[in-house]
Amino acid sequence: MKGKEWYQADEIAEEYDAKRFSKGGQLIDHREKQAVLEALGDVRDKRVLEIACGTGRFTVMLAERGADIVGLDISSAMMAQGRQKAREAGVSDHIEFMRGDAARLPFPDNHFDSVFAMRFFHLADTPAKFLAEMARVSRNQVFFDTFNRFSTRSVYNWLLPMGSRLYARTEVERLLGDAGLVLAGEDHDFVLPYGFYREIPNGLAGQFRDLDATLRDSAIGEKLASVSYWDARVR
Amino acid sequence: MKESLMDIICCPMDKHDLELEVDDRNDEEVLAGTLVCTECGERYPIEDGIPNLLPPDMRD
Repeated sequence: MKGKEWYQADEIAEEYDAKRFSKGGQLIDHREKQAVLEALGDVRDKRVLEIACGTGRFTVMLAERGADIVGLDISSAMMAQGRQKAREAGVSDHIEFMRGDAARLPFPDNHFDSVFAMRFFHLADTPAKFLAEMARVSRNQVFFDTFNRFSTRSVYNWLLPMGSRLYARTEVERLLGDAGLVLAGEDHDFVLPYGFYREIPNGLAGQFRDLDATLRDSAIGEKLASVSYWDARVR
Repeated sequence: MKESLMDIICCPMDKHDLELEVDDRNDEEVLAGTLVCTECGERYPIEDGIPNLLPPDMRD
């Protein structure tokens, strides 16, 4: 099964959260949520768009913090989970899910305060188009993550069933410039790649995460990191 | 989708306004229906409360 079909299958959607965010995966989930919350800040009454929202783990989290949020994805099976989560959290009145193409968004220019995408650009075949479209519908912030070309991710990538696009810093800078965005903040993490964390038991995951943080905070930390978070502004 | 979403969404192809045709709804939202572009006439279905605004070349 190709990546896109695999992603949209009902049974994959139903097991998606449990599979991906068990064990060391919880550490990844926690770090990603922290990255989104730090970048977006106080979201109360802000208009937010999440690209590739999947099962809505960030979408619902931000709705709980008062954002007026739209989650967009290609998979209705994934978003059916998101709608369920939103109902359980009691935030259905200020959250919407819709199917759409990230390269042709169904919104007018400058509508949102913040537009973000997590774990999206590594699967993007036309990143320049996607980033330009995110910039078009945002009047202020665009936030996303990338997997880094010169890191342990390069090794891990060889093991993956589907292709994953890796980015060098210069490529991100060029993409931002071409989309009319300027970098306002950045963060780099995970010297050890995500795949490693998914495989090890919880107890060990914590210890390896500590080691990882030590390496990350070292002088060469940014160079070793496998994940980067990019916080940009519309020019 | 809630009817208030009509204030922000537009046709993904030409960015013109959409018109809502409702087939099924409850107190909170539209569960089934169609969004029709007022310019190009393209029709976008709403299924299980989720509008499908994928351009026609990307639909199943």
